[in-house]
Amino acid sequence: MLGLAIRNLRRRPFRTGLTLAGLAVSTGLLTSLLAMSDGYQQGLRTELNRMGMQMMLVPLGCPYDAAARVLKGRDLNVTLPESALLDVRADAAVAVAAPMYTAAMPRPASGRTDLWMGIDDSTRELKSWWKFTPGSTWFTAPDTVILGADAAQTEMRKPGDLFYCPEAKKELRVCGVLERTGTSDDSLFFVPLATAQALFHQPNRLSGIAIRLKDPGETGAVAERLQKIKGAQVVTMAEMMGTFLNLLGAARSLVLSIAIVAIAVSLLSVFNTMMASVLERTRELGVLRALGLSRFRSFCLMAAEATLLGAVGGTLGIALAVVGGPFVERTVRPTVPLAPNHGLVPVTLVSAVYCLALSVIIGLGAGLYPAWRASRLRPAEAVREG
Amino acid sequence: MASLQARPSCGYSDGWRSLLTNPQSAAPGEPSTGAPLAVAVRGVTKVYRRGIEEVRAIDDVTFDIRRGEFLAITGHSGAGKTTLLQLIGAMDTPTSGSILINGHELADMQDSKLTRLRRDEIGFVFQHFGLLPTLTVAENVALPASFGGKRKPPDVKALLERVSLQHRMTHRPSELSGGEMQRVAIARALVNGPSLLLADEPTGNLDSGTSERIIDLLQSLNGDGLTVVVVTHNEALAAKSDRRLLLRDGKAEG
Repeated sequence: MLGLAIRNLRRRPFRTGLTLAGLAVSTGLLTSLLAMSDGYQQGLRTELNRMGMQMMLVPLGCPYDAAARVLKGRDLNVTLPESALLDVRADAAVAVAAPMYTAAMPRPASGRTDLWMGIDDSTRELKSWWKFTPGSTWFTAPDTVILGADAAQTEMRKPGDLFYCPEAKKELRVCGVLERTGTSDDSLFFVPLATAQALFHQPNRLSGIAIRLKDPGETGAVAERLQKIKGAQVVTMAEMMGTFLNLLGAARSLVLSIAIVAIAVSLLSVFNTMMASVLERTRELGVLRALGLSRFRSFCLMAAEATLLGAVGGTLGIALAVVGGPFVERTVRPTVPLAPNHGLVPVTLVSAVYCLALSVIIGLGAGLYPAWRASRLRPAEAVREG
Repeated sequence: MASLQARPSCGYSDGWRSLLTNPQSAAPGEPSTGAPLAVAVRGVTKVYRRGIEEVRAIDDVTFDIRRGEFLAITGHSGAGKTTLLQLIGAMDTPTSGSILINGHELADMQDSKLTRLRRDEIGFVFQHFGLLPTLTVAENVALPASFGGKRKPPDVKALLERVSLQHRMTHRPSELSGGEMQRVAIARALVNGPSLLLADEPTGNLDSGTSERIIDLLQSLNGDGLTVVVVTHNEALAAKSDRRLLLRDGKAEG
């Protein structure tokens, strides 16, 4: 029966091909969407976990915007007084409080903007998972810089090299290069906190303070206490994650509505193909019924053809999502808030199986009525009609 | 009432089905002796509706077909020959009257039983052959056996040898001549070992030489004990039958 169904589909290769293409596009779209959602959440979770902190203290304003900017090493037009660091460190529940000052360094000659981050030794404690390339050391002097993996590659520098920044009119020695982390750290230029504050003329000012607690279970209580620091506000990582996922959700709803339209179109396409098939094969189906094909088997034959369309179309769609993933990622990444550095559209086995199952269900669903029609054909009339 | 130019083929056996004990069962003018009945048609009428118009395709037809008999149903176009064949073949139901196939009253049977009857007891041959273009000759022949009911795979090779097409097993219908296609259709009709072979204009699309081979084949199958009913315009084919049933405007004529 399955063999017969396959051969029937191959009878009209163009029509079958068009139907499969429709299914493949809609399934591919849906697969990419699901993969993007999974990839974004996974990436964001990984990135936030790798921050090694439970909350951030940022200047008053939009807390999420401030936190995102600090996390991604973007410029903040408001800052915290350095005294806030003392207040944070005074809280007994705080294990590590890592101050940071981030600023953008436009490099018109190179046509790009670099992101600089001033940090102190506590960041090393916070990011204990950082690994350095051979020959690297921590800051040995005020005029030293640690380069992220991508920054080192762009500047073509290794530990021990001199690095002159004409915009800052400053020569720095590269004391260390980070091994690739897969996070935004890869593109950053890390300098001692005081150096960054001096470079950007913001003495004793901070962009934010990353906080790790001794007991993460105390996040709520500590956040409440730190919220009282003047001119500052607390953003927990859980809140940030939720906010970013909400932002993604809006974009995802738009794409999902497109995917639903595509699915509806492919469902109608399969329905149309199967109805056409039943109508043009009326006599043939009548002959089969006359030869003893039962109504149930007649139904199964047509349903099998529709299901096969769904299965093959779904498989092609998943292949399309895998192959087209990088293109989708390039298109989508600029529009996604705080896009994680690692793959944004990774097609996972779960999303692939889910989409394939959906495609098979679409095929079967669209084929039910035509299959029912085929099963209700009266042999005498069907043989006459052909 | 059927007019049967009878040429009884077999001897009458013991009281076989209840219909044989029914004095009303045999049509007047029909031979009173012969083999058990394969088909009994009793007062069958088939009315189609074409819009508001009623078309009486078959009008109160009664006749019997005995086992092993070769019956030719003849008549002009539109006389109701094909409709009658389809009624005998359980492809359609009569508006009134009754049809018994091997003692089974078709009116009492649900669709699933009618399907099983068509699959196991009846072989169909169509004027347009009805072969599936995507299947090979061997696959076409074996197809009805895959509809269920048979556990043993059919001996397709033997069937194709019977119709002298064993060398065409792997060919597609499009690679065959009309006569070859009809022989494949006959082999397919035989695959489930039916007791009744119904052929609707089996030579209608064939030239006279090819028709001759098909007629010989049908006669040979009948000679092996298969009950054969053909609808035909072909005088040569009708002449080879045991009896003729002439239909005119849906009525059996004498």
